[in-house]
Amino acid sequence: MIFLIEYDRRKGELITLKRFRDSDRLKAQNKRLEIELDLNHKGINHEVVLLEAAKEAMIRRTHRRYFETPRQIAKSVKAGK
Amino acid sequence: MTTKFSKTQIDRLGDRLRKGNLTDADFRLLDEYRRSFGEVYEIVVRAIRERLKLEPTGRPAKSTGSIVDKLHRESIRLSQVQDIAGCRIVVSDVKEQDRIVGLLLNVFPRASIVDRRVHTSFGYRAVHVIPRISGKLIEVQVRSLLQHSWAELSERVSDVFDPAIKYGVGNNMILKILMDNSERVKQIETMEDQILVASEDRLKLRVLQQEIIDTKKELVNHLNKLILIVEGREEKKV
Repeated sequence: MIFLIEYDRRKGELITLKRFRDSDRLKAQNKRLEIELDLNHKGINHEVVLLEAAKEAMIRRTHRRYFETPRQIAKSVKAGK
Repeated sequence: MTTKFSKTQIDRLGDRLRKGNLTDADFRLLDEYRRSFGEVYEIVVRAIRERLKLEPTGRPAKSTGSIVDKLHRESIRLSQVQDIAGCRIVVSDVKEQDRIVGLLLNVFPRASIVDRRVHTSFGYRAVHVIPRISGKLIEVQVRSLLQHSWAELSERVSDVFDPAIKYGVGNNMILKILMDNSERVKQIETMEDQILVASEDRLKLRVLQQEIIDTKKELVNHLNKLILIVEGREEKKV
């Protein structure tokens, strides 16, 4: 699956998470560009990124900063996860 | 595989990215440039999935913000950025990390290796395997769970405080906590490695196990300090 993420770095906040099928890669890439252009016109500085993984749980594990607070990340160090 | 861009064209785009005030045409050119890595990225990720039966998370194109950050902090040109596309694999520990790196080298024998466990980058530890295919580089990040948690926390703190923190600049207290904890991660992983060798020696084994527990406690205590600083900052922003 393909995941399109819009993330506010300054606030550490996930703005949107859109899901696309693997076969819709072009659609996902076009959407990413469309969002980036729109944000630029509005003068908003958000990170827009595409990630690909078999399951959503995987991106939540490998790219935790988009989904978890520092406290949650630190907690997992304690739990060894 | 054809390349539509000249190096000069891409490097001039990099200069404009550095300066800011990008036009739609700049965004479109950067988008096209990133997409030009798609075919090679696919080859690498498919090889990892099919030949190694691993499930990496792919990131087919580095975000604009991350590219701009990189151009600002390093005196490199856009055409030299080697992680435009890549993927990440998170494994349990250093032993498994070494095994996976070995497997990746079997698949991509001419790949270059950047061992950030030896040459850390402002506390960041991981191993990057970088195959070059058709002149394009794809960065495969292999991280242990502890290295990964440190990296994600460092990124998250950089997001909220200052993107430069990730690169060793900014709030000294935060930098110190991050660097000290990176060192603790190294100590824990070294001791975990020694445990395998010491498994026959019960006394040595017990000492190492206790040292790991103590170092992990220290790590968690220092992370809690860091969290209090970050949460204080986040509350101020709301």
